[in-house]
Amino acid sequence: MDVRFKRDGMTLIVSIEGEIDHHTSRLLKEKMDSKFIMEPVKNMIIDLSGVTFMDSAGIGLIKGRMDRVSSVGGKISIRNPKPEIIKMLKMSNIYNLIS
Amino acid sequence: MQPVNKMRTEFISKSVNEGFARVVAASFVAQADPPIDILADIRTAVSEAVTNAIIHGYDEKEGIIIMECLLYTDHVEITIEDFGKGIDDIEKARTPLYTSKPELERSGMGFTVMETFMDSLTVESVPGKGTKVHMTKQLEYR
Repeated sequence: MDVRFKRDGMTLIVSIEGEIDHHTSRLLKEKMDSKFIMEPVKNMIIDLSGVTFMDSAGIGLIKGRMDRVSSVGGKISIRNPKPEIIKMLKMSNIYNLIS
Repeated sequence: MQPVNKMRTEFISKSVNEGFARVVAASFVAQADPPIDILADIRTAVSEAVTNAIIHGYDEKEGIIIMECLLYTDHVEITIEDFGKGIDDIEKARTPLYTSKPELERSGMGFTVMETFMDSLTVESVPGKGTKVHMTKQLEYR
């Protein structure tokens, strides 16, 4: 699992590569939260194009970040999930975050 | 009906073994050459069951998890067993969005995912003794 960050104005773009499960989501959460606090941003885009596997731990991860971003009045969106990831996203209310 | 092949593996409840378990299960089932999306469903369901054993069965302490796969000509049966604290109320645990550990940002969808991605799900648990999750999946479209 790897994660890269880019800033576009007030938006933090998070590109995740590899697999998201309970094991990897803990480190992802730490990295995403610390970057979100350190950078002068209020919105977040999560790019899932490089994610090859995601179970419900990914739903928990995204929902947690959604709450964090919402708490500072920002918006969060998801980009480029693969079809197998879309199936998982459709099971929760974060499916409508796909832009 | 006799299985055409079977596999049993035992590993400790380290979270890094979630990936190990789903890769092993998918590799074993791949010999039946199922459609790729069916294989993906099996990987996801195994990941959920093993994660539940690690987080809820053992409270992230060390314990043994046994995974058994019975491969038949048209379907697979997968059992994930732990010897942890067990589940007091299985019906409640299977309720969508219910989680006993909201502080871990769990989505409460583990059993719902297993039910949705597999064709059947049976949960047996004895408090203080452990939990056995049994799942089946057809390997071709009906």
